[in-house]
Amino acid sequence: MNRFTLASALALAGSLLSAPAEAKYTVVTHGGPALAAGGITVNPAEDWNRDSRKPIKKGEVWTLDGPSLNALYFVSGLAAGETLYRDADKKNRPLPKMNGSMLLTDIPEFFESSARVALNTSLFEVSNVAPVKLGGHDAVRFSYRYAVQGSSLIRNGVAQGTLIKGQLYLIDFAAPSLFYYERDAPKAEAIMASARL
Amino acid sequence: MKGGGRRPCGSRFLFAGLGFLACMAGTPQAMAQVSAAPVVAPVPASTGSDDPTVYQPVDKDERGLWLMMDEDERKFRTDPAVIRDPALNAYVREVLCKLASPGRCAHIRIYITRTPHFNASMAPNGVMQVWSGLLLRTRNEAQLAAVLGHEYSHFENKHTLQLWREVRRKTNAASWINLIPYAGLVSLGLLTSIFDFSREQEREADEGGLTHMAAAGYDTHEAAVVWENLRAEMDATAVVRRTKSRKDRDRGLFETHPPSAERVATLTELARKTPGVPGATGADRYRAALAPMWASFVDDQLKLNDFGGSEFLLKALAGANWTPQLLYARAELYRRRAQAGDLPQARDFYTAAISGGGDLPELWRGRGLTLQKLGAAEQARADFTEYLRRAPNAPDKAMITILTGGS
Repeated sequence: MNRFTLASALALAGSLLSAPAEAKYTVVTHGGPALAAGGITVNPAEDWNRDSRKPIKKGEVWTLDGPSLNALYFVSGLAAGETLYRDADKKNRPLPKMNGSMLLTDIPEFFESSARVALNTSLFEVSNVAPVKLGGHDAVRFSYRYAVQGSSLIRNGVAQGTLIKGQLYLIDFAAPSLFYYERDAPKAEAIMASARL
Repeated sequence: MKGGGRRPCGSRFLFAGLGFLACMAGTPQAMAQVSAAPVVAPVPASTGSDDPTVYQPVDKDERGLWLMMDEDERKFRTDPAVIRDPALNAYVREVLCKLASPGRCAHIRIYITRTPHFNASMAPNGVMQVWSGLLLRTRNEAQLAAVLGHEYSHFENKHTLQLWREVRRKTNAASWINLIPYAGLVSLGLLTSIFDFSREQEREADEGGLTHMAAAGYDTHEAAVVWENLRAEMDATAVVRRTKSRKDRDRGLFETHPPSAERVATLTELARKTPGVPGATGADRYRAALAPMWASFVDDQLKLNDFGGSEFLLKALAGANWTPQLLYARAELYRRRAQAGDLPQARDFYTAAISGGGDLPELWRGRGLTLQKLGAAEQARADFTEYLRRAPNAPDKAMITILTGGS
C-alpha cells in the first residue's frame, strides 16, 4: 500500500528514485550545453534542476517543479543485462533486462514492460511509435499514458530512444496530463531535439 | 459499455473509468480508442441505510470500521483500474449471488480491478474486490465460486471486525491506529503473519465457502484445485527465475491467502465430506463470460516479466487446444524474452497461429520482427507489408514502414 501511495505521488522516473528524503538539486543553467547522465549533451532553453539521486548508475532525472510534476529522465549507454530503473525487488518483481539483440522497435516494449513492473500497474499504454533522429542517430519516438493503482491521476509521457553498439540511449519525459504535460512537453522535446550522443 | 467496436482482442476497458477506452489486441501498438457512455459507479448501501433487510453495524467499533471502509470505497468511483464492463460485472455478481443470501447479495458492491495478480478481498461494509489476475487463473465457474464463497464467508462471519478487536486487545492504542488502513480492504494479510487468530478465520472461511459452493450446486473439489494450480504456477515462476518457490511462504503478495499444502489437504478433505454436485464446474459458462477479456488479461500477464509463470498459465489455458489467440500470446512471450532458442520458437508459434486461422494483424508484425532478428530480412519485409495491409492505421505504422524498406 505504501508503495502505491509513493508511486502515485510521483511521475514515472521520479517515483523510482531512491531515498526521497535526501533529494538534492543543482541548477542546470539554460543557454549553454549541459551533460546529462554522463553521456548525453543537450541545450536547455530554461533552467532545470538536476536531482542528485540517480535511479540507476547510467540514469539521471531533471525536473522543473519537482519529479512528481515534471520529470525528464536521461539514460546513457544502458548495456545488455542492465535494467532501466533500479531493480529494487529482484526476487519478486524483477525488471526486464536489456538484450543485446534489441532493435529500435523493441525499445517501446522494453520501456513499457519496465515501467509496468516498476510501478506495479497494468494501466499503461504506448502509442504513436514513429521514427525520429536522436543526436543524428536513427531512433524511435513514442508517447505513453499511465496511472498507478489507487490513484485516478493520469500521467502522459513522451520518449525518444536509440541504440548505439547495442546500448540504449533514451530521453523520457513524464508529467500529469492535467496542466503540466501540456505546458512542459514542448520544452522536453526541444531538449531531445538538441541532444548529442 | 457500448460502441466497443469489436476488435479481435475485445479488451476495451483500460482507463474506462475516464470514459476513455482502449483495445490493445495483445500489443501496445494495436490500440484504438472508442467512445462510450460513462458507467455510473454503484452507490454504497452500507452505513445509514434505512432498509431493514440490510445489516447495519451495531456498535461503535463496527460503525467506525464501516465508515473507514466507506471512505476507502469512494476511491473506486474514479479509479481507472476498476473494470466497468457491464457484462463481466454482471457475471461475477451472478456467481456471487448463487452463493450468498439474496438479501445480502444485493447490497454487496463488487469492484473488479485490472491487477494481474491472484487476489480477492472483502471489506466489512460489503465491498468486494476481485483482481483480474484471479479471473485469468480460475479455470471454471466453480473455482471462481470457491474464491468468492471464501471471501463472502469472511464477510458473513465479520472476520475483519473480530480481527480488529483482536489487534486492539493485543496491542496498545498507538500501534493499532496505524493498522487501521490495513484492517479492511487490502491488507488483512499484514496481520496474518502476526496473529494465528486470522489463520483460524481463513480455515473458517474455507469451510464456509465450501458449504456455500455445495449449496449452490458446484463441484466442491474445484476449491482445492485453485490452490494447487497456484502452487504449481509459483514453482514455474521460480524455476525460470532461479529463485525459491513462494508457495510455502507466508508473506508477500499471497499472504492473505497462503496456498499452503495444508490448505489444499484441508479443502480436499472437506470436499470429500461435502462434494456438492460432482462434475458441475460451469467451465463453458466461465469461458464464454471471460472470452472478451482474455486478450487483455493475458497481455497484462505477458508484460510482468514472469516467463515461467506466463508460460505455465498459457499452457493451462490452452490445455490440448492451442487457439490462434493463445499461440499468438505464446509467440509474443518468446519473442520478447529473445534468449537463446526463443526466436525460432516464437517464429513457429506465429506461423502455427496463422495456419490455424489467426487473422490478428499483429501476428505478421511479431513474426516479421522475429524473422528480422533471425536474419531472414526478405521474409520479414513481406510480413511487415502484410501487417500494414491488414492494419493500415497501426499506431506504429511509420516505424514499420521503414522496416519494409518503404518511406
